[in-house]
Amino acid sequence: MSEKVNLNVNGIEIESDPNKLLIEACEESGIHIPRFCWHKRLDPVGMCRMCLVEVETPRGKMLVPSCTTEVSDEMVVDTESDVVKKAQEGVLEFLLINHPLDCPICDKAGECPLQDQTMAYGPGESRFVEEKRHFEKPINISEIILLDRERCILCARCTRFSDEISGDPLIEFIQRGNKTEVNTFPNEPFKSYFSGNTVQICPVGALTSTSYRFKARPWDLKSTRSTCNGCSMGCSIELNSSQNKMLRILGVDNDAVNQGWLCDKGRYNFEYLNSNSRLKTPLKKIDNESVEIEIQDVYSELAEVIKDRQTKVNFLLGSNLTNEDYVAFREFSEIISQSEKSFYLNDDKLHPGLFGENVDLAKVDDLNSSDAIVVWAEDLKEKIPVLYLRIRQAVKNGVKLVVFGHTNETLSDIADVFYGKETVSENFEIVKDISKLKEIKDLVIGKNITAILGKSTPHQSDTSVTKLFEFLNSNSNSKVLNAYSKGNTYGAFQTLENVKGLNDFVNDISEENTDLLFIVGADPVGRSVYSNQIKSIIEGLDTVVALDNFNHETSELANFLIPMSSTLGEKEGTFTNIEFRTSRIDKLVPSPGQTVSDWEFITSLMNFAGLTVETNSLESLNKKAYENLDSSLSPVFDNLDKPSNLDGMVNVSKPKISSSDNNSNEAKFFIGEKLYGDSTTERHSDSISLLGSKKYIEVSEGVVEKYNLTSGKCTLIQDELEVTVSYEVNKSFPNDLIYIPTNRRELNKFDFSREIIITPSQVKEALNVN
Amino acid sequence: MSWDDKLLKQAKKIIKLYPQKRSALGPLLHLAQSKDGYISDDSISVISELVGITEVQVKSVSTFYSMYKQEPTGKYLLSVCKSISCEINNSSEVINKVQEFTGLNNNETDEEELFTFEAVECIGACGGAPALQVNYETVEGVTPENAINLCKWLKEIKPDVVVADEMQENFGGIKSFDWAIQDNSGATSTAPGFQTLKTTKVKK
Ligand code: SF4
Ligand code: SF4
Ligand code: FES
Ligand code: FES
Repeated sequence: MSEKVNLNVNGIEIESDPNKLLIEACEESGIHIPRFCWHKRLDPVGMCRMCLVEVETPRGKMLVPSCTTEVSDEMVVDTESDVVKKAQEGVLEFLLINHPLDCPICDKAGECPLQDQTMAYGPGESRFVEEKRHFEKPINISEIILLDRERCILCARCTRFSDEISGDPLIEFIQRGNKTEVNTFPNEPFKSYFSGNTVQICPVGALTSTSYRFKARPWDLKSTRSTCNGCSMGCSIELNSSQNKMLRILGVDNDAVNQGWLCDKGRYNFEYLNSNSRLKTPLKKIDNESVEIEIQDVYSELAEVIKDRQTKVNFLLGSNLTNEDYVAFREFSEIISQSEKSFYLNDDKLHPGLFGENVDLAKVDDLNSSDAIVVWAEDLKEKIPVLYLRIRQAVKNGVKLVVFGHTNETLSDIADVFYGKETVSENFEIVKDISKLKEIKDLVIGKNITAILGKSTPHQSDTSVTKLFEFLNSNSNSKVLNAYSKGNTYGAFQTLENVKGLNDFVNDISEENTDLLFIVGADPVGRSVYSNQIKSIIEGLDTVVALDNFNHETSELANFLIPMSSTLGEKEGTFTNIEFRTSRIDKLVPSPGQTVSDWEFITSLMNFAGLTVETNSLESLNKKAYENLDSSLSPVFDNLDKPSNLDGMVNVSKPKISSSDNNSNEAKFFIGEKLYGDSTTERHSDSISLLGSKKYIEVSEGVVEKYNLTSGKCTLIQDELEVTVSYEVNKSFPNDLIYIPTNRRELNKFDFSREIIITPSQVKEALNVN
Repeated sequence: MSWDDKLLKQAKKIIKLYPQKRSALGPLLHLAQSKDGYISDDSISVISELVGITEVQVKSVSTFYSMYKQEPTGKYLLSVCKSISCEINNSSEVINKVQEFTGLNNNETDEEELFTFEAVECIGACGGAPALQVNYETVEGVTPENAINLCKWLKEIKPDVVVADEMQENFGGIKSFDWAIQDNSGATSTAPGFQTLKTTKVKK
């Protein structure tokens, strides 16, 4: 630790780390300096001058912006002198010259730094009598973001965010001086996976979201802190509701995880909570008709099935369960059947991962402190967006980046090396001797490495990942972040004994070994590559119980369909993220109709069946989940609710994943998912559905030639199935590779182990004739 | 891309002069200006691709500087200085006369697209005030009458290359400095004449 420096602020001695900005050092010592442009997570620009303070210099006292001035030893600072006050009044008077002051119709009013600071530091009146500048009132800069340029105070927070943090600078200052405005390039909207963050950090109401616009007043909002379960990052969030309706999600600055940022899917994919199409009453299928049924009747009918404890039960669990839900199912299965049980996770890419004795598991923060990051996983920008931001941050700080294709191309523009088709085959195998790759020699050998390793596509064999890991392990000081991307996967790892994936489900499950199947928050028929097989398996089973928010392709096959409370704001529990950090899931709004939490359902069922369980409350399930951990360090509610643990508690565990390798991909498909798809929750969240999930594929140049594609569209044909899609050419793909995003309806229905016929669509030519 | 091969080749040459591609932005914008007489959105797209930054970032730079025009200009951009030294030496009359002759307000272009008029801040020729520029070629010591004569000449002859020295000799007066070098090269468009950009030509 380097020496501290001492400074005198307003007559008080304070201590600070050297190289800190004055505004930050003061803040840490409890002295608040007003600001607009400065943001802890962005580079300082000194745009707004709101943070002026007086500093003693050899030439007398001087006004300096505290957000661009570093502390030095024996610095003498005044943040409250008359001169400072005059400066603050001046700055605010200037800022308000062109500000429309339309607070009554502004979403920001009530939580607006401009309002608040004008109140606290402003001059009280304006001398400006001229006409203010005018702009067209809000313009759409993307499907979901609106910009009111009259309100903008030109702090450059939004533009810096998009440039420095998310790396998609599609908004910028246009013009100069009095004419300056933020805008996009014509016909090039602000299409960013992270655009919602700019709305959150805008210090005025210039940037607003269609999602929250005119919905509520900040003083009417109820709020609570929770964890996003959109992917395995587990970003810290604040939920906002008004009149029992969830209205907004904000990012919370959790230094170890998301540092305040969220992806737009995490931010806006809550709107489905308020959808009218949600399941609100239990349904039972009678002669292929779904009829409403009382939940008590469901319990008694199922109690009948499990009464003798000999029932063969299996579980197919989604990733939106809380750890307590998982434990409830585990307890249930232990009581019902004596033999060892497997739990099938709704993941068509589940693989054993790297958790062995010789593996040192990484934390997200290790990215910043390593010499290089090596990535071989699904496309992180699409699947774990905020982890992608953390990688960008590390690279900005000088960490080297080595990326293996064909996924993660989104990282290739900041990567020091991208190993494309020369190194990685169509089958996702490394075809070269790793130790002979020159860049690996330079950047990896003998260095501190964080390796983000996972499975890029369902049919990829584990051999190459293992090979890469072994190389890294014996040639560098490496830590591994296993890149499972789905929601609370790590919670399942932590709480369930024996987890398997969908390919095992397909191989294992049959009428013989399953009388009763629970499908919880999972739509493998609508989403996974094993769609057809899973469908026919489910249809062959005696009793299938689905718990879900919506009726969808899988849940509609069930004999009983139970409406489920959402993990987003409708129940309490815990969530474990990619680095085994467990944090709180909290409840803010009542859960609609007769919806129940998964754990409630399963414990009530056991009660009904007369099975005694000790874990019949949320607290007991929570304790049970972590009973093997040292009690002071375990993430039980009592510990998590301590202020010092709000950011979560890390307990690394070694999961037992007994998934078998599946490398039957003869036909060279690369199957992945894009951030936005058309799952039921996405379809019922307006913002997300606006962002589009058009059906498209990416093809290599070879494929274009081979199938003679010219019109921008083509049709994929296999047996009865025909899907017309647009295609994009990806020059870095090896010869015959075709990328198919399966989180679009129909596209997952193909059998990817067989040939799919591709025919050019005549759409364009036909149009040209007329 | 809407730039022809010749222009693209030129652009690539310019980019090579800089350690980072994006540093070539300024000269590339001049090149775009010389092509269309303004910075078109089309050119912005081309440049964005060439230097690897987004279109809006290019637009941000191009709209910051007033010499990168956002609207098409005429064949001749008449920039008359309105700053203090010129003002003291009767530039307002020069401005009036030029406006009268061309019928243009500030920042306007006539219908034939011959002239664009602008009153500008100091163009660094205070010693020879009042001064004006035709396509950034400077003429000093301009009387109101001579300003009209200059405009008439441009309108009549429509030279493809305008050369400062030539105009100075025919329409100018006192000069700030005499560089004592005969310069026969001049601007070919409403962008400054740079040799490296090939926006300058020698007048035979
Ligand atoms: S839109 Fe908001 S964040 Fe962006 S520059 Fe204007 S005030 Fe700042
Ligand atoms: S990155 Fe993942 S956890 Fe974070 S906001 Fe997005 S979906 Fe939620
Ligand atoms: S906060 Fe320092 S200049 Fe804006
Ligand atoms: S003031 Fe006109 S050239 Fe300087």
